[in-house]
Amino acid sequence: MTKAFGHFTAVDSLNLSINPGELFGLVGPNGAGKTTVVRMLCTLLEPTRGTATIGGYDLKREAAEVRRRIGVVSDGVSLYKDLTIEENLKLLTTLYDLPSDVGKRRVSELLEMFNFREKSKRLVRQLSTGWTKKAMIIAALVHDPKILFLDEVTSGLDPQSAVALREFTRNLCNQGVTVIWTTHYMQEPELICDRVGIISEGELIQIGSPADLRRSVSEQAMIEADSPALDAITLEKIRNLNSVCKVTYDDPILRIACMREENEDIEEKVVNVLVSSGARIRAIGKKDPTLEDAFISLTGGEEEIDRFIEKGRQRT
Amino acid sequence: MSGLKVPRDILAVVSNELGVFRRNRSAILISLIVIPFFFTVSLGAGQGSAATFQPTAALPIAFVDNDLSVASGRLYETLVRSEMFNRLIQGYREDNALAALGKGSIYAAVVIPKGFQDRLMHNQPGTIIVYVDDGAPGVGNAVLSAVNATVQTYNPSTEITTSAYVEVAGFSTIQVVLKGTRFSGFALGLTITMSLVIVFATFYEIAGGMSREREEGTYARLLVSPVSLGAIMIGKTLYDLGLNFVRVIVVLGLAIYVYGVRLNTDFVTLLAGAVLIALLTMGFGLLISSLGVGLRAVVIIEFFLILFLFAFSGFILDKELMKGIPQIIATYLPWSYGIEILKRTILSGTPLLSLTSQLQFVGFSIVLFYALSYIFLKLARERLLK
Repeated sequence: MTKAFGHFTAVDSLNLSINPGELFGLVGPNGAGKTTVVRMLCTLLEPTRGTATIGGYDLKREAAEVRRRIGVVSDGVSLYKDLTIEENLKLLTTLYDLPSDVGKRRVSELLEMFNFREKSKRLVRQLSTGWTKKAMIIAALVHDPKILFLDEVTSGLDPQSAVALREFTRNLCNQGVTVIWTTHYMQEPELICDRVGIISEGELIQIGSPADLRRSVSEQAMIEADSPALDAITLEKIRNLNSVCKVTYDDPILRIACMREENEDIEEKVVNVLVSSGARIRAIGKKDPTLEDAFISLTGGEEEIDRFIEKGRQRT
Repeated sequence: MSGLKVPRDILAVVSNELGVFRRNRSAILISLIVIPFFFTVSLGAGQGSAATFQPTAALPIAFVDNDLSVASGRLYETLVRSEMFNRLIQGYREDNALAALGKGSIYAAVVIPKGFQDRLMHNQPGTIIVYVDDGAPGVGNAVLSAVNATVQTYNPSTEITTSAYVEVAGFSTIQVVLKGTRFSGFALGLTITMSLVIVFATFYEIAGGMSREREEGTYARLLVSPVSLGAIMIGKTLYDLGLNFVRVIVVLGLAIYVYGVRLNTDFVTLLAGAVLIALLTMGFGLLISSLGVGLRAVVIIEFFLILFLFAFSGFILDKELMKGIPQIIATYLPWSYGIEILKRTILSGTPLLSLTSQLQFVGFSIVLFYALSYIFLKLARERLLK
């Protein structure tokens, strides 16, 4: 599928197959096209080119059937803030054509499951961000969908709720629900997803299990140092060292990717550069590449540091 | 899928809208109380619009006001605004006017007797006396019919009795009796008020409501569910018709019990006229919301819509009296036909179904607005996302 808005192509020739019961993570930086993909798949946006089959139904020709089978949790798909969660759910049971008794039972089960019983009579606008998110998840599940889209669902959630949600989602997949989980937090898909697709600038650039993706950067070794307030000149010196592939710096964490076979003394060289620049080194060591490293490697995350170095040059 | 899916969806949308509405006290207050009260009270003294040009327009006619009351003042305004009496001269005493009649300086004298307003206020027939110089052929009949038409605007329950051209000091007397009812200059004002209240509140509710739903993401919630666009549109329409029913009751209550309006039509006909104007406005509101405009744009468009209605819908000037571009706009502005339906039914008791051309134009416009809205809303889903 391709989606263009005028001359801007938000998603370019996406070709993807997700298995039933799979928990599929779609990761990418902000503006990569994740939400556009979700919006196309849940029939909110029509693809400019191409189509998809969801639960056996064609996205374009059988949109109503697709909608019956999907649940969506996304910032752009909200609940009525002036209604209680119970009233919102009642509306949805009607719209999804659930028989009255089935609808009531389902709502009751979900409220119980999410420990929402006490708050069910509160207006949505009176709920905290975390509870609102939970309410949106309940709303997405009310018709027992076979496919669930969770778009940046943990943003705004406290760590405990995020963990609980990940566990719940895993359980849903174990029960046969297919979940498409989009996020820009790299740790999340690593923790729960069966497979991950990395999307950048509208293109799906890599797909595989988290382990596969980590392996894709296994020829690299990572050095991580805790060294505050580094200047652009120091970073450029490190970058110019032999065998260094990528340098990222998020003060105070300095991360250096280098070629594994050539990096025997690279740690020492980095220390020398830092010491000669008068930098403080609080910790330094080698580590295995993570999904985040794979992501940075694949999406060219060096742009940030390039900008930082350029800024440093201008200052000096 | 159940065969009752669409009606159930429609009912769900209506009940959802009402649920949101009842939680919003300021919306209830503004929509159902403030707007009807504001327009009814501020236009309560509305007198009505002009009528078509009449041969009496150029005749010098004396207006003798022996009552010097609000009621007589309004009657004077009604006569002047009618454009049937463009040379209505004030300042004559009754004896001077009678003396002037037959001498060519005036052709008629409209005399308001003392106690005119008091009688009307106490449910007694108020009388105006019109003396006509019938020396000029046809003047008597022309003045009679012009007065007849004009006082109908002033008070639709007028009875005219002609003292049958009885010679009184050489000129004829037409006695116009305003039937025993409380004074009201608001009969025509009611059509204006009702139209404005409906258009003002309905447009904002539909277009503003859609815009709010779009911005809050609840419209997207409906779009990812299996509810059809048609059910959403019908549900919102029915909800808004319900609110308009309440508004019409409020306006009518004020008009009848505060301003003493007597309707020349039954409630069902009046309601049907109101429904037509509401549907027109809702169709237009949906059409505007299909463009994905924000709340601020909705307010600006509403301002221009009201301005257009004031200028071109016969509020101030009948469209027959307009010329050039204003007349073209008035001819193609569907609300002007809706307002004409209200005027004709409320003021002169014309049966609704006899207003065929107006009904056809309004009906066609409603269908056109709704059809275009449906197509645009269908085609432009992405414009309606947050």
